[in-house]
Amino acid sequence: MISSKTMIARIFEIKRFAVHDGPGIRTTVFFKGCLLRCVWCHNPEGLKTDPELAFYEGRCVSCGKCVSECPEKAHIMKRGRHVFLKDRCVSCGICERTCPQQALRLYGREMSLSEVMEVLMEDRDFYENTGGGVTLSGGECLLQIEFVSALLHELKKSGIHTAIDTCGCVPKAYFEQILNDTDLFLYDIKAISEACHRHCTGVSNKLILENLNVLDRSGKDIEIRVPYVPGFNDGEMLRIAEYLQGLTHLKGIRILPYHDFARSKYRALQMNDTLPQKRPDEDETRAVEKMFETFGLPILS
Amino acid sequence: MKAYDEVKDRLQKQFQEIEWIPESGINPEALEARCAELTHALTDCSKALIKAKTFEMIAYESRIAIDKDDLFQDKLFDGNLMKKQRSTWEKEITGRYLRDETEDAKRAWDRYGSYQSIGDYGHTSPNSELLLKLGFSGLLKRAEMYSKRSGLTEKQKEYYESLRIVLESMIHVAERLSDAIEPYHEENARALSHIAKGAPETLYEAMQLLVLYFFLHEYVAGTRVRTLGRLDVLLTPFYKKDLEEGRYTEQEIREMFRFFLNKFWSAKVPYDLPFCLGGMDDDGQDVTNELSSLIVEVYDGMNIYSPKIHIRVSEKTPRDFVKKVLSCVRHGHSSFVFVNDRIAIKSLENAGIPERDARHYVPIGCYEPAVWGREIGCTGNGGVNLAKAVELVFTNGRDSLSGDLIGVETGVIRNYREFVDAVKTQIAFLTDRAVTHIIHVEHYYGDINPDPILSCQYDRSVETGVDVYEGGAEYNNSSLYFYAIATLTDSMIAVKKLVFERKMVSFRELGEILKNNWVGREDVRTAAKMLPEKYGNNEPEADAIAVEMSEYAAGLILGKPNGRGGVFKPALFSIDFCFPLGEKTMATPDGRKRGEPLSKNLSAVTGMDRKGITALVDSVTKIDFTKFPTGSVLDVLIHPSAVSGEDGLDAFYGLLITYFQKGGFAMHGNVFSSEELKKAQENPEQYRNLQVRVCGWNAYFVDLSRKEQDSFIKQAENNEG
Repeated sequence: MISSKTMIARIFEIKRFAVHDGPGIRTTVFFKGCLLRCVWCHNPEGLKTDPELAFYEGRCVSCGKCVSECPEKAHIMKRGRHVFLKDRCVSCGICERTCPQQALRLYGREMSLSEVMEVLMEDRDFYENTGGGVTLSGGECLLQIEFVSALLHELKKSGIHTAIDTCGCVPKAYFEQILNDTDLFLYDIKAISEACHRHCTGVSNKLILENLNVLDRSGKDIEIRVPYVPGFNDGEMLRIAEYLQGLTHLKGIRILPYHDFARSKYRALQMNDTLPQKRPDEDETRAVEKMFETFGLPILS
Repeated sequence: MKAYDEVKDRLQKQFQEIEWIPESGINPEALEARCAELTHALTDCSKALIKAKTFEMIAYESRIAIDKDDLFQDKLFDGNLMKKQRSTWEKEITGRYLRDETEDAKRAWDRYGSYQSIGDYGHTSPNSELLLKLGFSGLLKRAEMYSKRSGLTEKQKEYYESLRIVLESMIHVAERLSDAIEPYHEENARALSHIAKGAPETLYEAMQLLVLYFFLHEYVAGTRVRTLGRLDVLLTPFYKKDLEEGRYTEQEIREMFRFFLNKFWSAKVPYDLPFCLGGMDDDGQDVTNELSSLIVEVYDGMNIYSPKIHIRVSEKTPRDFVKKVLSCVRHGHSSFVFVNDRIAIKSLENAGIPERDARHYVPIGCYEPAVWGREIGCTGNGGVNLAKAVELVFTNGRDSLSGDLIGVETGVIRNYREFVDAVKTQIAFLTDRAVTHIIHVEHYYGDINPDPILSCQYDRSVETGVDVYEGGAEYNNSSLYFYAIATLTDSMIAVKKLVFERKMVSFRELGEILKNNWVGREDVRTAAKMLPEKYGNNEPEADAIAVEMSEYAAGLILGKPNGRGGVFKPALFSIDFCFPLGEKTMATPDGRKRGEPLSKNLSAVTGMDRKGITALVDSVTKIDFTKFPTGSVLDVLIHPSAVSGEDGLDAFYGLLITYFQKGGFAMHGNVFSSEELKKAQENPEQYRNLQVRVCGWNAYFVDLSRKEQDSFIKQAENNEG
């Protein structure tokens, strides 16, 4: 058994002053890797488990620094312009450190528990003043369950409020493992009908709904997050509202209107851009919220 | 009476289109001639008396104007005569006694950008509390009482004479305005006549007195009045009494405030006129009340950015009040600054002011605390460019362009410790030059800018018969700013890392590279820019430098005697000088090129606060701000999404309160996305109303220079990652 301090996780971002991932001022840790493939995913850099290099072409001035540093020759100059050959890249991260324009960014690095804790403790005063704390997100953080459970344990030992942002698509035992050290679950529900869920995310929602019921029975605080993506899951809103009525420990429901801010990330990662075109306007979102409210569900906004 | 909304468009032009009443006084040419005649006839009198008599002449003989649609009257034609008078005196005196020093100081600032030192006659916090308590006539009685003492010197007699003249003159102006407005607005006429005779008794009279006093002092006498005072403290007794006695309804009072605030907005007071709300009283009890909230609400509904509002925040300030103000900032009304009572008070104590008096402070100008009505703060005496100190070590004390010796020849640098010592030596030298010049100018304040209108409100001045600008106030302090702490810190850590630890270049080589503005050495510049150790990221090694250097700079002058019987109070902010000083400072080791702006206030170098606002706060608050009693400020630029919704507002509050708990001094904020700012830059006509907090004042974004706009956009982009 490895000592928990030396445990390693793959993390692609630690965001401080996060204010919409649970109560108060929080730090959110984004773990790499996810089983779902939601067409609207706004964190595509968190999907794959392995680290990957993103190239933000718009920032590049073709200075050629990365070309001379790259041991794999993944960066080349073609007619005076820098071209990134992703196939050759082994995500070593050398080029990221040489790029003066921050056009290259490595998503995903290995961090030890003590390294992560050190960053999280820096904003302790902010947590205490605002009832905030730490949120673990992703990707799907629970895929790295051993690390996550050790981290949550450390945080609770230090008296810090903890939240887990999850898609719920992990074995039930994972939830049982972290139940005691988690104060709040931010739980995503995207669709109730199996077919729609498969269409939008590529996986079944059976496990997700089962786990939600397990959590609800455990008495833990749950905040449900419902991405609202017209053309994909708008037909599910009514079903979701009906379904949620049956739960007893809901702290609130947040409707997350779809946005396409992530488009540049898809390009930079040379990923197939699956993002829908249509964004809901404020009135549409408000109407969905109202509908949930008429079901007696507590909407957060 | 017409509603504010009906007349506001016209009233907002009231200072551009003034209709002076021809028969009310002599014409401008005649006025100027009378002024010259008077000055000539009084050559042998003290400057205070000449000033008082000039004011008297204008008050009695010049034209007035009234506005029937306004609630408050204030206009007396002055032809800028008294401002011209002071600048003539200043030229005369400095030319006679301080010619070389003045030229040295001018060159240091205009050409080299190394330090600024000037006489400051423009940061006052009149004792408006006493003004409302006694009125002009009560102040007059008090001055007359003291003038009847035996054993007064000639100078003291002239001092009291000057007080009598200005107070009688102000009374006379109130009477003239009262007579003129009477046919149109009886209540206004009554209020003016009442404040001509005695102290104000109603809220309306109190406001009319504040307005009249302000315009006579600032516009006619030409003194920069840098705060109306603590407006809620001042007006609460009147407000409560009027409500209790049923004189006005709350709605009517709100309407009065619209006219009142609009007056200062329309006047376009340079750098905006501040007033203060909230904070603790002399006994440490919170003063925030329903009037504080009412004023914020009225202000928020008006879409104006001047006057600007200082919010004093103590441990006891109600959360809801602070959130109400933050909510204004969040939706784009950014003309607020929050000042931390605990640290401001402690800092004043460090400048030798007892706690009870320190609690009585009011922020003047941008953020600078001064004891309200008891201190002549002079918080704009100039400052030292810390980035220039780094330059001077590389150039052996010479200006990089002209080759002139403007610092100390600190010689060859062999290790990092020597470098630190050399930078300190340069800072100490520049500071000494600035301070020495300021002290010399201060010896002549009484001959350049005696101020009977201000003196008559200062207890100690009236008791001792000494003008406030000659050391007659309870506290007679001066200031010096230190600009660009982040550029200094990042430059020093870059030298430490690249030259002495990684040995990427030698110290000499780096000097050459900087003089060549990095040309051909992009590799070194990239390494410098990409160092992980940068101020603003809670990086211990960088922050330790900021702490060491700020402590050193403060220690050079904090509590050191000035030229008027007071002490120096250092400040750690840059105002918007970060732009012009950037033009005059050669490339710096942090990767900055010549001409690029220096760091602003307490901010990190633009784009270098890579870990976000909380890490920036952690870095900044390692500095001991109680050593900087002229203040400091952190500018925060937040993306709208970060503070949206109720939880966003709570987080904004949490950010401010944590900053203050950790020892921050003052904070102000802008809530924008880079996208919005870029659109405003491209389509200025559609964004005429987009206001931004520039420094201690606001401006319309579209009116800023391209460089300043770009700097805001760059900062916003950095936020967004």
